[in-house]
Amino acid sequence: MAEPLLSVRNLKTYFYTDEGVVRAVDGMAYDLHKGETLGIVGESGSGKSVHALSIMRLIPSPPGKIVDGEILFEGRNLLKLSDEQMRRIRGNRIAMVFQEPMTSLNPVLTIGEQIAEAVILHQRLDKRAAWERAIEMLERVKIPSARQRVKDYPHQFSGGMRQRVMIAMALSCNPSVLLADEPTTALDVTIQAQILELMRELQREFGTAIIMITHNLGVVAEMCDNVVVMYAGRPVEETDVKRTFHDPRHPYTWGLLHSVPKLYERSERLIPIEGQPPSLVDLPPGCSFAPRCPFAMEVCTQVDPPNVPIEAGHTARCYLYTDQATEKDKEAATAAGLAASARSRGV
Amino acid sequence: MAGNGEILLEVKHLVKHYPVTKGFIFQRQVGAVRAVDGLDFYIRKGETLGLVGESGCGKTTTGRVILRLQEPTSGEALFETRDIFKLGKEELRRMRRNMQIIFQDPYSSLNPRMTVGDIIGEPLEIHNLARGKEKVRRVQELLEVVGLSPYHANRYPHEFSGGQRQRIGIARALAVNPKLIIADEPVSALDVSIQAQVLNLLQELQKEFGLTYLFIAHDLSVVKHISDRIAVMYLGKIVELADADELFSNPQHPYTEALLSAVPIPNPEMRRDRIILPGDVPSPVNPPSGCRFHTRCLYAQPSCSVDEPEFVDIGNGHFVACPVRPFKTQRSKAAVYRPAASAANS
Repeated sequence: MAEPLLSVRNLKTYFYTDEGVVRAVDGMAYDLHKGETLGIVGESGSGKSVHALSIMRLIPSPPGKIVDGEILFEGRNLLKLSDEQMRRIRGNRIAMVFQEPMTSLNPVLTIGEQIAEAVILHQRLDKRAAWERAIEMLERVKIPSARQRVKDYPHQFSGGMRQRVMIAMALSCNPSVLLADEPTTALDVTIQAQILELMRELQREFGTAIIMITHNLGVVAEMCDNVVVMYAGRPVEETDVKRTFHDPRHPYTWGLLHSVPKLYERSERLIPIEGQPPSLVDLPPGCSFAPRCPFAMEVCTQVDPPNVPIEAGHTARCYLYTDQATEKDKEAATAAGLAASARSRGV
Repeated sequence: MAGNGEILLEVKHLVKHYPVTKGFIFQRQVGAVRAVDGLDFYIRKGETLGLVGESGCGKTTTGRVILRLQEPTSGEALFETRDIFKLGKEELRRMRRNMQIIFQDPYSSLNPRMTVGDIIGEPLEIHNLARGKEKVRRVQELLEVVGLSPYHANRYPHEFSGGQRQRIGIARALAVNPKLIIADEPVSALDVSIQAQVLNLLQELQKEFGLTYLFIAHDLSVVKHISDRIAVMYLGKIVELADADELFSNPQHPYTEALLSAVPIPNPEMRRDRIILPGDVPSPVNPPSGCRFHTRCLYAQPSCSVDEPEFVDIGNGHFVACPVRPFKTQRSKAAVYRPAASAANS
């Protein structure tokens, strides 16, 4: 396989607060290739957004700090660049779409001014050419009568149209990586379908690699090629989208898949993941999922599990697949886990 | 789980318009937001009726008006044959023992200055159900019913996570032994793993106490999971109402069909025809004439912009408000995305 476009290695972003050190991202790692869509899945507080802000080097400091790791983009470590060098990459080669289309646009500037600003800065176009570029981008994202609408202010657009504007802005400099942080979460499902379709079309056209950060498993299944599942700041499982859904190995991935109601299957009861996500200030020793894990063994609560290769292109951070747990323990754990799921199913 | 046939709540021609005024001191009405514009439905004892629709379609308003948290513009809501809208203040207060609500946002719907015990105990006092020791005992019992611990009664809401707060909200609703619970997006603010816990709890409580739910949500998978029957709303009207399985296997209204096809399915191998609706939902201040969906409908006929469609039973309690009722053979044509048609709405 070709050299990855973006390679995140052992990324650690901590926040130093009065309550203690929040380990928001703690050892994130993956490769992203050209034209690929990578899904980052996790619940709130799992560190998926902080990881994206780390790539953009937008972590507010203090209290935040990237304490370790590498972010290799086209072979260069972004964490080693000067602010000036980073500015040339941010918004130009790596762009980001945020969750809230209502708050991430400047209310006192017209849509056109906001798109043109990035183009003038990065592409060194003059004002007139940048304005034309803004109109062209609005047409690309299917804003009707773009030539008129480019002079409008954000409040004159609906939520779905604002998200189109955000995408137009992000793609205006033709970036090679697009970080989409919950791009459709604030939108209704019919509008979500429009935006996802648009992103797919634009990806085909521009060959942009997309990092899709979401908690919606449906969006992951429809959009992504590969998936990283995050829990409490750590990647717990990474593989392609088919194996994520049909052959999940980490108990958390498994639990996540079973806790969502299915549209085309009838089930009387859902199988929830019991308990609450841990506080990032006060993580339990060992595997952070162990207190909620029906498969947990003694070793899980003592030492952090290693990242285990299951097969080519599939890793999971779990003792069930290591030699560190005895076969007997693993069998007992599997039996306990299955019994727990049968119980919550009400069998 | 399904109802036993007896009707608990019947809503007839429910209308709620919010006035749009102009001027600062001498306000005059220049229009109306037609949030809910003529709803007819009923809920049987012990069943769950799901109410789905996109933001601004009037589903939350419907729930609030039925409880008279907002006054209706017109219409009737018969709770066991008594019209809720005709009750006097005192009668309404007594009636509210029968009907409770669970709110969407577990962060803003609990008073931060009250302990959990006071929050759950308040309805018991208001309705003279329990006082003193008896109240404390009942609060502890309710906390256990919703999966919390009795000692939580002395804590404040900020000490709890979102899922736990939603459990507190459920305990408060259960305190007065209501017959009907209106659940307004009860799980949409929660993470998926917690969502499943709360959905299971709601189903257990329904079985245990014989509750009837009006379950309002925008997430179709959640509504399908919990509901016996489902009503689909669009711009203040119900466009289709049927048994949950029937609605999903045999949608008759073009909006329902598009809505179902727009939901991303968590199965990477499932490929479906996707119907992508052009444009945005029009404003309820000035809804389209005739069928309100005709501006985005892929099967619209010239008559659709003129005649208001009737809400008719097409058999087995499957109601639909669409005279055209396109069938599945036309689907392939509809699946084509038409960007030219995505009209601006401002």
